[in-house]
Amino acid sequence: MSQVEFKGYAITDANLWTQFNLIEYQPKTFDDNDVELRIAYCGVCGSDVHTITQGWGQIPTPLVVGHEITGQVTRVGANVKEFKVGDRVGVGAQIGSCYKCRACKEDQENYCPSMIDTYNAHYPDGVFAQGGYSTAIRANQQFVFAIPENLPLRYAASMLCAGLTVFSPLKRHGCGPGKKVGIVGIGGLGHYALLFAKAMGAEVYAFTHSNRKMDDIKKMGADHIIVTGNNPDFAKPLQMQLDLIVCALDVGKGMPLKDYLSMLWVHGKFVMVGLPDEPLPEMKAFDFLTGAFLGGSHIGNKKEALEMLQLAADKGIKPWIEEMPMSKAGEAVQRVKNGDVRYRFVLKQDISPIDID
Amino acid sequence: MSSVEFKGYAISDPKKWNDFSVIEFKPKAFQDTDVEIAITHCGVCGSDVHTITGGWGEAPFPLVPGHEIVGKVTRVGSEVKGFKVGDRAGIGAQIGSCYSCRACKSDNENYCSKSINTYASKYPDGISTQGGYSTAIRGHEQFVFPIPENLESRHAASMLCGGLTVYSPLVRNGAGPGKKVGVVGIGGLGHYAILFGKALGAEMYAFTHSKDKIEDIKKMGADHVVVTDDEGEFAKDLAMSLDLIISTRDVAEGMPLQQYLSMLWIHGHFVTVGLPDKPLPQLSAFDFCPNGCYLGSSAIGSKKEAVEMLQLAADRGIKPWIEELPMKDAKQAVERLKRNDVKYRFVLTQDLA
Repeated sequence: MSQVEFKGYAITDANLWTQFNLIEYQPKTFDDNDVELRIAYCGVCGSDVHTITQGWGQIPTPLVVGHEITGQVTRVGANVKEFKVGDRVGVGAQIGSCYKCRACKEDQENYCPSMIDTYNAHYPDGVFAQGGYSTAIRANQQFVFAIPENLPLRYAASMLCAGLTVFSPLKRHGCGPGKKVGIVGIGGLGHYALLFAKAMGAEVYAFTHSNRKMDDIKKMGADHIIVTGNNPDFAKPLQMQLDLIVCALDVGKGMPLKDYLSMLWVHGKFVMVGLPDEPLPEMKAFDFLTGAFLGGSHIGNKKEALEMLQLAADKGIKPWIEEMPMSKAGEAVQRVKNGDVRYRFVLKQDISPIDID
Repeated sequence: MSSVEFKGYAISDPKKWNDFSVIEFKPKAFQDTDVEIAITHCGVCGSDVHTITGGWGEAPFPLVPGHEIVGKVTRVGSEVKGFKVGDRAGIGAQIGSCYSCRACKSDNENYCSKSINTYASKYPDGISTQGGYSTAIRGHEQFVFPIPENLESRHAASMLCGGLTVYSPLVRNGAGPGKKVGVVGIGGLGHYAILFGKALGAEMYAFTHSKDKIEDIKKMGADHVVVTDDEGEFAKDLAMSLDLIISTRDVAEGMPLQQYLSMLWIHGHFVTVGLPDKPLPQLSAFDFCPNGCYLGSSAIGSKKEAVEMLQLAADRGIKPWIEELPMKDAKQAVERLKRNDVKYRFVLTQDLA
């Protein structure tokens, strides 16, 4: 039996979304398929901010957010073969599904209609799922990912939502040698899309609003950088050139969607991985007459998560992160809201620290 | 040398969009790669109405519409390989492209950025393209389709835009045995989607607003007929069950688009071949999240697909539901089409020569 405590930094007043208060809470009821881990690191995701600011709807309190979790296994259920105590593992944005529907059986568990989010969701027995700005978490083994030896936990953490969320559509749309891939919005997700797309062998076109991030984007390895602000004709030279565009922008209204669609080769996809609070810009059927498609994507499946982590380990992919103690979560979320981060915050668990890389 | 005249029923003023008068017009200057056709039949397409009413924006007038054309070859250029005088041939909604870009070279000529429309477009030399409510037309061989022996001209005509426009997305998105395909709107295009979808082996779900079409739709072969409401209640029982939806819906107002998207299986495609004048209902990124679905459109089809479609129609004895009228009754045809009073496509018989 483990001695793990479950304590975390929670929002206790929805009107004060930068004020985190330490609470104890009831974890998931442990079952034979579960893995329990002590948390070493948790990335700060845009979803955390959308949630606690209530941009995505009202929240119950107290709420512990965080779904880019890495740590060390402390306990495994009787049916768990994949992991043992002491293993380095991670948990991402999904923590449950039904395990038996067509989606779950076809490696599409990230599209299961009965999916359970890592935080702000309820288990069938009524227990409330609290996230990773905390000391520990329990998860069904399907949603626990082994972290390769030579991939530090602080780097792996934010790959488990941000990384996977872009890796899945890149992979599913054949990102690789000979392909031209556009990435729109170079923030947390966007910078991962850039790093992974390059690692997968594609030619990468990075679209960014201003010159501010140019040097960084060059260092990340983009083959081409297009500044879109004050540049209404940015899409013209690239008409029908790109095979795929992954859009990590967190805005809706003013986005020149038609211009982006015009850059896609026939039947190319524009995949939104960002989930803005507001609706998408107005569209006409005519905007799609180049044969391009607009779509979305929701995280990724376990197979993709493991493939991504192995790719990161093999190619030495290092995300651009800024590490902070978990007690400074309030500062981190405020800066994410302001877009003031290069390019992902990772919180180091400091409630009952563990010493693991 | 042919002595074909070029005369047609034209609209001169979009404010009088149903007022046709016969005009003579100057055809394309004949090229070595061209085929000339004496027209026997021309289908009436929704595009004709959208264009002559100005709904799709300004068009050059006088305008002879019509891009579902079948007739007999009267002349072929020296470089033409696939046709000889006397053959039955047809032309659809596209009549030119650049022939050299990546799209043209990959059987995607319908997506060439220099595409020329069969009417209301201009050739590089400045001549306006006039359509098929007329006696004759000339087109580059790439855009002329052979009509199989056992497919009647009056049946083939409206396949050349209406049929092809749904056939292309059906095949490009894998419609076939084991697939569940939805069709929204059972009019000219929609009824073709049912007929071709069934012929390709898919399980077809027809979505219609009108209870009075149910019997017809069953006769067309649809496996399921769903009567839709604008609130989207119909979609609940079909959540995440269709592989592909082809929408022919021509009106954006009140369209339950989010509910249609919710009926798609993971990574399913919603292809709208209907091109409403007004913007689509507003969506949010969240609407694409539960199933990772895709929204797009489709532009006609390639020659390869046209030839394949016509052969499929000939082999399976596919007969569209058409109403024939003499070409002089074009006025009646466009007026009735505008009010959706047609089962399910008008075909005009050429009566000027």
